[in-house]
Amino acid sequence: MKVPCFSWLTLLRIYLRSFLVQASWNFEKLQNLGFFYLILPGLRSIYGDEIPAEVRQRHVSYFNTHPYFAPLVGGTILRLEARSFAGEDLAVGAETYKSMVMAPFAAMGDALFWGGARPLAALIGLLVASQGSLWAPVVFLVLFNVPHLLLRGSGLMLGYVQELRAIETVQKCALPDLAIRLKESTTILIGVLCAYLAFTGCEHKSLSAIWGFVLLPVVLLFAWLAHKGVSSLFLVLLTTSSLLLLALLF
Amino acid sequence: MVVGDYLLAGLVAMVTGLDRVALVQAMISRPLVAAPLIGWLLGNPLVGLEVGMLLELLWLGRLPVGAAIPPDDTQVAVGATVLALTIGPLLGMKGMPFVILSVLVAIPLGKFGQVFERLARHANDRLAIAGCNALMAGSTKGLERYHLLGLASFALASLATAFVIILVGSFVLYSLAPLLIGAVREAGLSLQYSLVLVGAAVLLGTINVNRSISLFCAAYSGTLLVLWLR
Repeated sequence: MKVPCFSWLTLLRIYLRSFLVQASWNFEKLQNLGFFYLILPGLRSIYGDEIPAEVRQRHVSYFNTHPYFAPLVGGTILRLEARSFAGEDLAVGAETYKSMVMAPFAAMGDALFWGGARPLAALIGLLVASQGSLWAPVVFLVLFNVPHLLLRGSGLMLGYVQELRAIETVQKCALPDLAIRLKESTTILIGVLCAYLAFTGCEHKSLSAIWGFVLLPVVLLFAWLAHKGVSSLFLVLLTTSSLLLLALLF
Repeated sequence: MVVGDYLLAGLVAMVTGLDRVALVQAMISRPLVAAPLIGWLLGNPLVGLEVGMLLELLWLGRLPVGAAIPPDDTQVAVGATVLALTIGPLLGMKGMPFVILSVLVAIPLGKFGQVFERLARHANDRLAIAGCNALMAGSTKGLERYHLLGLASFALASLATAFVIILVGSFVLYSLAPLLIGAVREAGLSLQYSLVLVGAAVLLGTINVNRSISLFCAAYSGTLLVLWLR
């Protein structure tokens, strides 16, 4: 039997549904309904409206990956399902593949997007905002969402076209290394932002900018406290109450 | 401010709240975006931008991974902007000091967001079971319906958080703002910068990359020297 191919409309539906993959996120099975919802247009293309019970069963089990990588996993799974439907022997079954890749892709996506791209885009946005520009949110959104939306789309196509070889392609992209570079850039921008604030603060108080170096150990101390698990809320309350007390006393 | 504006604030709270986990995750939920957005809709985007700047970095290092639920900085941003734009004029207080005070009042209330979001996710546990049952009974449409109902849980959680922040925040500001505004005005720029600097320090402390301290110190010293010698 010929392996069923998906129309562009089906692929577009899957792409759009990927934006809703976490709509029913739950503690029991995390994104299980979301993943089934994502691949449903593809499953309908393969099986029609009567999706076999075993297919339904295997795709509604526990699932958790980074939401931006879900289309990539979904594209591969659908291709595997299509080949299985056509009677081909598969080296790796759809269920095995899913359980094999979801955690590595989750870790990769978390490091790349939540740990790397988001802080970097936010800091660039903040530097723009520090000039009082209302373009800051737009800059932030564009910087973050261009790679985000590209990954969703290209991930889906990559998974659909390359199937299991998509993993090799992702490996070749060295995304964990990219995440580290983004984090390093973020660290540099944190330094630039803090120094700019220290300089502006000194200027406002008519002090020499060299006094800005006094702030360096303070920021490092707070960073160390945060690293040790002290909450942001506690640090905010500590700082603001100290400053308010000083303002009231002097 | 009329009822329509509060309804608008509720709508923005829900839309931006959905973006946190359930829908798209295009980052319109970040304070730097959500606060100017509600500020713009209420007629003063600059106040929103100021709120967004103060809040953006505070919980940025808390990753929304798996079952971890960070404090709801989205609703803190929306709530603080609404408070600054509604309570300030009523008390005859304007400008950056009142914006800072609104942010300081809203920040601890962000903890409510964690509680409501946890409840939403537990509500989704039941939806997931119902969705699976519908699917096993052969109804893919039933699964789709239960899945999309999950959006309502998250939207309601966001709305509830924003409601608590605005309600409790209004009460606290009415009671304490006249007492504290003088001290906040006195502390002025130091207080404003301290919030951003605490956020930057927390991000630096949680960024989890080798050489972060050396890179930070080099960038800080280099920038400060360049600005000084300029």
